[in-house]
Amino acid sequence: MIRVIIGEGSCGIAAGAAKVHEAIVAAMGQSEPFALGSTGCIGMCFLEPIVDVYEDKTLLRRLVRVSPADAEAIVDAARTGDMSKVDSITISDDDAEFLSKQTRIALRHCGLIDPTSLEDYRANDGYEGLAKVLSTMTPEQVIEEIKVSGLAGRGGAGFPTWFKWNAARQSTGEPKYLICNADEGDPGAFMDRAVIESDPHNLIEGMLIGAYAIGASEMIVYVRAEYPLAIVNLTRAIEQARAANLLGENILGSGFSCDMRIKAGAGAFVCGEETALIESLEGKRGMPRLKPPFPAQKGYMDAPSNINNVETFANVGWIMNNGGAAFSAMGTETSKGTKVFALTGKICKGGLVEIPMGKTLRDVIFGIGGGVRDGKSFKAVQMGGPSGGCIPESLLDTIIDYKALGATGAIMGSGGMVVMDETTCMVGMAKFFLDFTAQESCGKCVHCRIGTKRLQEILTRIVNGEGKEGDVELLEELCVGIKDGALCGLGQTAPNPVLTTIRYFRDEYDAHIRNKKCPAGECVALRTYSIDPDKCKGCTVCAKKCPANAITGEKKQPHQINADLCIRCDQCRKNCKFDAITVE
Amino acid sequence: MEQIKLTINGREVTGNKGQSILEIAIANGISIPNLCYNKNLKVYGACGLCVVEVEKVPKLLRACATVATDGMVVTTNTPRVMQARKIALELLMSDHEGDCKGPCHLNCPARTDIQGYVKQIALGNDTEAVKIIKDKISLPASIGRVCPHPCEEECRRQFVEQPLSIAYLKAFAADNDMASADPFKPVVAAANGKKVGIVGGGPAGLNAAYQLAVKGYAVTVMDMMPEMGGMLRYGIPEYRLPKAVLAAEIKQIEALGVTMCNNVKVGKDVTLEALRESYDAVLVAVGAWKSTGVGCEGDKLDGVLGGIDVLREVNLGARPNLGKNVAVVGGGNVAMDACRTAVRLGAENVYVIYRRTRAEAPAEDLEIEEAIEEGVDFKWLTNPAEIIGENGKVTKVKLQVMELGEPDASGRRSPVPVEGKFEILDVDTVISAIGQRCALEGFEALELTKKGTIVADEAVCTTNLPGVFAAGDATNRGPSIAVRAIGEANDAAAAIDAYLSGKALIKVEPYYSKRNKDDIDFSAYEKKARAEMSCKDPAYRKGNFDAVINGFTEEQARQEAARCLECGCHDYEECRLIDFANNQPINPSRLDGGKHSCFKEQKLVTIERDQGKCILCNMCVRTCREEAQKGILGLVHRGFQTVIKPEFMDPATIADCVNCHKCADVCPTGALKILK
Repeated sequence: MIRVIIGEGSCGIAAGAAKVHEAIVAAMGQSEPFALGSTGCIGMCFLEPIVDVYEDKTLLRRLVRVSPADAEAIVDAARTGDMSKVDSITISDDDAEFLSKQTRIALRHCGLIDPTSLEDYRANDGYEGLAKVLSTMTPEQVIEEIKVSGLAGRGGAGFPTWFKWNAARQSTGEPKYLICNADEGDPGAFMDRAVIESDPHNLIEGMLIGAYAIGASEMIVYVRAEYPLAIVNLTRAIEQARAANLLGENILGSGFSCDMRIKAGAGAFVCGEETALIESLEGKRGMPRLKPPFPAQKGYMDAPSNINNVETFANVGWIMNNGGAAFSAMGTETSKGTKVFALTGKICKGGLVEIPMGKTLRDVIFGIGGGVRDGKSFKAVQMGGPSGGCIPESLLDTIIDYKALGATGAIMGSGGMVVMDETTCMVGMAKFFLDFTAQESCGKCVHCRIGTKRLQEILTRIVNGEGKEGDVELLEELCVGIKDGALCGLGQTAPNPVLTTIRYFRDEYDAHIRNKKCPAGECVALRTYSIDPDKCKGCTVCAKKCPANAITGEKKQPHQINADLCIRCDQCRKNCKFDAITVE
Repeated sequence: MEQIKLTINGREVTGNKGQSILEIAIANGISIPNLCYNKNLKVYGACGLCVVEVEKVPKLLRACATVATDGMVVTTNTPRVMQARKIALELLMSDHEGDCKGPCHLNCPARTDIQGYVKQIALGNDTEAVKIIKDKISLPASIGRVCPHPCEEECRRQFVEQPLSIAYLKAFAADNDMASADPFKPVVAAANGKKVGIVGGGPAGLNAAYQLAVKGYAVTVMDMMPEMGGMLRYGIPEYRLPKAVLAAEIKQIEALGVTMCNNVKVGKDVTLEALRESYDAVLVAVGAWKSTGVGCEGDKLDGVLGGIDVLREVNLGARPNLGKNVAVVGGGNVAMDACRTAVRLGAENVYVIYRRTRAEAPAEDLEIEEAIEEGVDFKWLTNPAEIIGENGKVTKVKLQVMELGEPDASGRRSPVPVEGKFEILDVDTVISAIGQRCALEGFEALELTKKGTIVADEAVCTTNLPGVFAAGDATNRGPSIAVRAIGEANDAAAAIDAYLSGKALIKVEPYYSKRNKDDIDFSAYEKKARAEMSCKDPAYRKGNFDAVINGFTEEQARQEAARCLECGCHDYEECRLIDFANNQPINPSRLDGGKHSCFKEQKLVTIERDQGKCILCNMCVRTCREEAQKGILGLVHRGFQTVIKPEFMDPATIADCVNCHKCADVCPTGALKILK
């Protein structure tokens, strides 16, 4: 039986998948010999919307960049089985390598199964890990298996998961809570959303195994309210699991009881910090607590609690099913298993990439991502979002490993990889992230509240051409002070984008400060517009478009730009048909 | 309770298991700066000042939040700790929108607590006001009458309408105190057996005598003139400062046990060396008593006099005949005193010759105004080119007409001669009032500047001779206003006290938080005009040396004092933030930037909150919740915009406030003020 499956994760919908779905429905007759269904996000953002055509479990065709206009052809192909009708929208071999070069564990079901169907999950080994754990393993054995796997927290800190579980297990006090941090806040990171939207039962299974290991009786998923589809899909999955006795009392007859609920967060970045998340869960203002006591001792409602990130839990069911050793067989000495990266920015093929630890950044960015788009050259990649740092071209062969990445000044983080090309100003990039962290500081500690604001102000004056000699040294001093004095991870890591851009792109800072030039040409305040008299035909379009009346000239004579009046809006350059506007 | 041992700064201390590093440090008398810790409240950890280094721990730890363990090795003052603390303080101060001290205070050379005494005057407590003034200025009735009041130049009330009349308020309070049944007498410390000799009984010498006498020193003031007071007595004319007022204030100083010896001149009656032997310390405050000559042809003619010489003669009781036409050269206050004295001595035409314009004249504008009222003819933009005489006696002065040229290095436009343009005045007397010099015969052992003044340390007034200090007009920059001499005398007295107590001689200018006036909304204040001092009629004034001003009425003074905007922080003395900011060198101005919203002051029943001074230690919020069990306050907004407000600004929540004032009590800064 032929099945037509539309990728309808948030990103697919944003790219037009819902409209494609409507069009296909409209093109279908009363009864068709094929079935129509949907799946979540397969992680190939650059090819959305994506429609897969299966015969039973075999993928016949993967159709990409599908538009509603393709609906007739798709229906026709599915009806007749003649796949040549959709040749023109079939994925190229080159693009198909985006997936084939990956090793998917956390994302193993994403874009392949129907996230609304418990049966579909179960048909793909779902809940087998849980069944094995509940029927054959003690909590201590589960923790031992996780220890063998070498799984470390995928949210950013990379702390050994077994250690946290063990601490919570050892901690006395009832009840215990298992919390999932799904407050994915790093700009450019979206793997957690993909897992919850596309494979919600995987999260539930991983959490149940964790809850069993630490002895928790309640599980809470703290998910940001900006992920409505994730909340809908997870809510449905929880209900399905409850109905199937996978949640609630006496799960699968094992005597283990545990239930689950969702807490929608209001979208404060700092609530991704585990103690701030707990405060928020308790209904308080999201501000970090002091550690110790750690959540394992005194967490949610002062009870022993364990918090892990979505991606961490997404690996757990697989590990139980395949054994810790299989997981630790992948990776490096200090970093085991796979890691999901969200590849974005000036990249040819953006999307979710899951690869074993130990591959190089070049493998990901060039090998899978196809390198920099539009023929531009690679400049740097920002790893780990606002808490991370940038890595320059010269370090592209750095392996993906907590230690190796840390040595560059960046971090593994939650897996955001924002690729920048030659047109990206690194000072502007640092400012972008400081704008973010200053905005997202909770306001509690002095170093972060005022320090990030001051960093942002200094960076702003540099990109505006008002930087002073000594500003870079001041930034560095302030950064070190903030790292030393800030209360939580947000503040302690907020200076990283500044420190790494200074470390690798000091010349760009100097150019802004000393020469009042932006080498990347991105800083608007430092641009100078002029008209090439040899190219200008005197068509007067630029003068008419200029909102500041900065352009003058006689018809059919070369025009001029008055630099004092120019507001650098770029309208003249965009509208010039003769490429006569030069920007320096 | 189980005891643990740890090492803090190399010292072994004990504490109870479970206590934080900070608790143990406090119990052992080791101070670790902190702004958000309070023993009654849950640990919060926001300020980041209490960071310490613990051996084998790579990160800095917050002492308030780190439970001490046995054998822990803690250091509270490593370079890394000091740097983190410095950044914290600089960040806090860069966002602290408040004035520790009013700008009046900061611009007063004597650093008088102006806001403090003005408040007492407003409340009707003149003697209390005098107590505050005399801590810095021991001659308030005199100084109040003659001071050119730099304080008023900076008074913020001028941005509402006009500055406060601070100097006259000081005179008012001092007069009232003096006339009262029980004038203020300072508490004099028990005699410490040490002797200080002061040469010069002017404002510097007298003020140093007062300050040292109060500290228990046996002070002797020696002066070459028949009476004490220096330039206040012999320079300032009677009509500005009645000598009876000055004499009464000097008598109060004498009553503290100060020995006053007049008609004693060093170099003639006694040597400096002998004084050094007789006294444990010597202060040289001899002033600058020599007039500078006009410096043009004819300036040695009969009838060319020195300004301060004329003033001294008149103050000694003489009434010299200066003739019908008198020209005074100079544009400063001595020139004003000289020209107005000439008017009073019967001159018909009195001219003031000044090479710049009125705008540049250093004299107080009020003095110029009053001189014009009294008929003085100001010859702005003229300069004496030659003094012409007959038979050795002055008859005329030839004036070079000037114009203002390009601004010089100081920004003032310098006068340049208009070529060939002259004016001639018939004169009987020319009085030179363009400056004074020191006459330091007898002080040859002291190192002098090129200007002929004594080289004295700017901060602690030491000279090249051990035990010899110098202050006032005779030092460094030379002559200045009386209150500057008084300020230097305060420094000298403090330095002499330190010197004789074997303490280090250092004066550190404290770090103060200051607001930019442009950040203040003055429109909210109700306009109230500055009190106008009533003066005698100019026609009456010309014929005598009676005091020109009549003094404030009681009603005027109280209302005037109430105009004070109270710029300085009410909590300065108690402020922990400024305490720590002065503990180590900081430079917050390098981090200047935006300030969190600070203009709105909210009132919560009987508490006024100044967001600009709030450092978000959250102490009030926590106290309200944990101690008062109310939970009225909370944090609003995020990041830099975070402020403390009643939760959700809910009137019902606010109504729960029972005015326990616990929040204000714990506030480490002046952000919370209890309203009466």
